[in-house]
Amino acid sequence: MTQLDSRDTHSRNRESYRPGVLEGLSALLIVLVLGQRWIVGWFSAPALQTAATIFVAIIVQALPFLVLGTVLSGAIAAYIPVSFWQRVLPRNSALAVPVAGCAGAVLPGCECASVPVAGGLMAGGVAPAAALAFLLSAPAINPVVLMSTFIAFPGKPSMVLARLIASLGTSVIMGWLWLRFGRSQWLRIPVRDHLVGRTSFETFRLTTTHDFLHAGGFLVIGGLTAAALNVVVPPDLLRMLADQPLVAILGLALLAVVLSICSEADAFVAASLTQFSYTARLAFLVVGPMVDLKLIALQSGTFGRGFASRFAPTTFVVAILASVVVGWWLL
Amino acid sequence: MVAAVNREIQAIVLLLVGGAALRITASGTYLNYVKESMRPWLLLSGGALVLLGVLVLVDIIRSARRTATADRLESTSGGSLAGDVISSANPETADETSHAHAHPHGPGGPRSAWLLLLPVFAIFLVAPPALGAYTAARGSTNATPPAVAEAPPLPPGALVDINVNDYVARAVWDEGLTLQGRRVRMTGFATPNPAGGWWLTRLTLTCCAADAVTSRITPLQVPDLPANTWVSLVGAWVPGGGTQSEQAIPKLKVQSLTRVSAPSDPYE
Repeated sequence: MTQLDSRDTHSRNRESYRPGVLEGLSALLIVLVLGQRWIVGWFSAPALQTAATIFVAIIVQALPFLVLGTVLSGAIAAYIPVSFWQRVLPRNSALAVPVAGCAGAVLPGCECASVPVAGGLMAGGVAPAAALAFLLSAPAINPVVLMSTFIAFPGKPSMVLARLIASLGTSVIMGWLWLRFGRSQWLRIPVRDHLVGRTSFETFRLTTTHDFLHAGGFLVIGGLTAAALNVVVPPDLLRMLADQPLVAILGLALLAVVLSICSEADAFVAASLTQFSYTARLAFLVVGPMVDLKLIALQSGTFGRGFASRFAPTTFVVAILASVVVGWWLL
Repeated sequence: MVAAVNREIQAIVLLLVGGAALRITASGTYLNYVKESMRPWLLLSGGALVLLGVLVLVDIIRSARRTATADRLESTSGGSLAGDVISSANPETADETSHAHAHPHGPGGPRSAWLLLLPVFAIFLVAPPALGAYTAARGSTNATPPAVAEAPPLPPGALVDINVNDYVARAVWDEGLTLQGRRVRMTGFATPNPAGGWWLTRLTLTCCAADAVTSRITPLQVPDLPANTWVSLVGAWVPGGGTQSEQAIPKLKVQSLTRVSAPSDPYE
């Protein structure tokens, strides 16, 4: 009887506490630490070990950019009033799309940073079409990425221009497509009501914490998928595709989706794929920062699965078409 | 059904992820995964995550204290008076407490946060090693054309230290012109050659281990070595193995072979 009573008061004192979660985590940690020897044993197969290394590498590489993106999205939520966006962006959404697309040039980071920032912009009242144009263009056309493209293709400066035009074109077209055909129920705009604190700093802290934990989880899903495919897909498979021009373009675009390489590094990888045409490699550079496995996971986590399942394939097609047109014109 | 991520769990996840980033950077194991240039960014972002975790902890302690104060007020002054006391004494506290009960940040805490424990477990428990012979043996591409059309001459000296990928580029794309008559020393690991013997191998990263590129050399007249053994070879270039092709694997006439321990940065 007394025992029952004490348990009752115990649980009443901790209303917001989910009993068992913390204890469960502690138990899991103890089991994992005690069983480390066996766990390492399971990972002794070279293929599994390689996948684990690539998984950790993708997360470690993306982590600083994700932190940067979530800190920026927290700062946007806390310190930039909605009226600022209404003043800066044209009232007309069709005009706001290209403006937001060009604004992508100022966010120096890779695609992991742009998803939370775009979510923060939408929550801050920016038209979704404009925020989406920013989401697609930011990782592709910022100065760091264009500079690394310039360095990776020393004899081919037109590659930088082609990448800029094709990426900006794709993001603006996607923004306009969303404006014309997009339905609001497909898109889950991140709700931030419960993340508003009493002070600006508290809002900043709550939003940054929430966005990091949220996006980070989906980054892990993307990293796992990319690592698994990296080990499963034979690297020489693509070499066989290089001979047919159209198949080559599609092949490299798919490779960009599977590899999920950070946009600041993809130019060097593209430069090494010398058996492919410049247009095919341009498709690799345009598709990669806009559609890849870790991005699809991040987008469906942030904006909903219904959004990602429509937006990612459409972006893939538009990006390939833009690359073909620009490649035929410039390269 | 995955349990909701309450603030305690949020703090733990943030501290673990940030701590893992700081730990691998401080110990140097981050070089198994990314390039050295990532070091400041990893320290900065790891530190930021730890700071965020500490702020969540501070928040938990503060709101626990506020609840305790409110409870004490409620128990000392009875009945309807309690509500008056709280709201008149400190309206902000009362507001915050009720807010906290309506939204314990719990259901709002993203469930996907649990997944962030996976890389932490991988780093602390499995500690995946640097990529090695398994990765090197997978692709047949060996020599990607260099950025510069013709490599500059090697630095002067009786013995020149050189990267494996530099040797491959000079041997394959410059047809050994800049290597002729020189003694070179290279460090790499052994990748078993299915046709017998092994290749001196080194992997090159452009960004992270997901984009590793392989460079291989066939050493001539060397004893058999198990996969992933690190060696330092001194030798001279000899023609053969093919040129002007991505599949070419150049050769090295070995003068001396020394077993060495794996370098702190396993990639070139």
